[in-house]
Amino acid sequence: MGKNEIRLRRERMSTGRITRHRNYSEIMRIHDREVRLKRVLRVFTYFMVILFIIIVLLIIWRWEKHWQQKQTTPSTSMFINARQIIHTDFRG
Amino acid sequence: MLPEEEVRREYQILEHARKDPQAFGELYEKYFERIFNFIFRQTDDEELTADLTSQTFLNALNHLSTFEYRGVPVSAWLYRIAANEVKKFYRRKKRNRIFSLEEVKIKELVEQGTEHWSEEQLHRMLSYLKELPTDMLEVLELRFFEDKDFKEIAYILGITESGAKMRTYRALDRLRKKFNLKIKYNG
Repeated sequence: MGKNEIRLRRERMSTGRITRHRNYSEIMRIHDREVRLKRVLRVFTYFMVILFIIIVLLIIWRWEKHWQQKQTTPSTSMFINARQIIHTDFRG
Repeated sequence: MLPEEEVRREYQILEHARKDPQAFGELYEKYFERIFNFIFRQTDDEELTADLTSQTFLNALNHLSTFEYRGVPVSAWLYRIAANEVKKFYRRKKRNRIFSLEEVKIKELVEQGTEHWSEEQLHRMLSYLKELPTDMLEVLELRFFEDKDFKEIAYILGITESGAKMRTYRALDRLRKKFNLKIKYNG
């Protein structure tokens, strides 16, 4: 058993009645609006991608700077170790 | 079937419309009524048909750049978009498909000549059509109500040409057996 509903039409719809729905300028208006929206969306997407890349680069750059600083500045543990060596040497 | 020259001219219009969408207006004017009737036959709702027809042409405009020549008239491409719009609508609404068929066309479907086509026969035919699966009805509609050839039907429904022929043949064969009638196939 099919799931379709079959209806019988005695007459074909007249051309005049169909013409009432014909409106190419309206189609063009919607099309232009969609094209503009797509363009804005594309620009926004590119902007977000570029922004993301810049943020990632900034994070990397700051992390690298921080890491370099950490390497050049002697740490407290190094001082403690040095003190222990000196004390041992004098006692020895 | 359109002459080769006319098909080529329509493709030139499409090419031109890629740069200037206003040019597509010529094809809109030419095919609006046919696409409207095609959709109306599957919805039986004038306002809904107007919306779906607009959406069909809008989709066509939006996808002009992706359209490729596949040896079928531009109208087949529009029918394909329209058929997809109708399918999308029914899928979204989860409603049963409606086929609103013209009496004259049903009579044309059967080679009755001058014989009288009684109301009872007509209603028997409608209840038979109701039992047919949707894919068979789609093929019958395109073949006998839109006068499309099998190559176009295959393109519109996204099936093979032999598949379109097979579906039509099966549907008509069942009709022949049930009604003991002579029906045009033109395969």
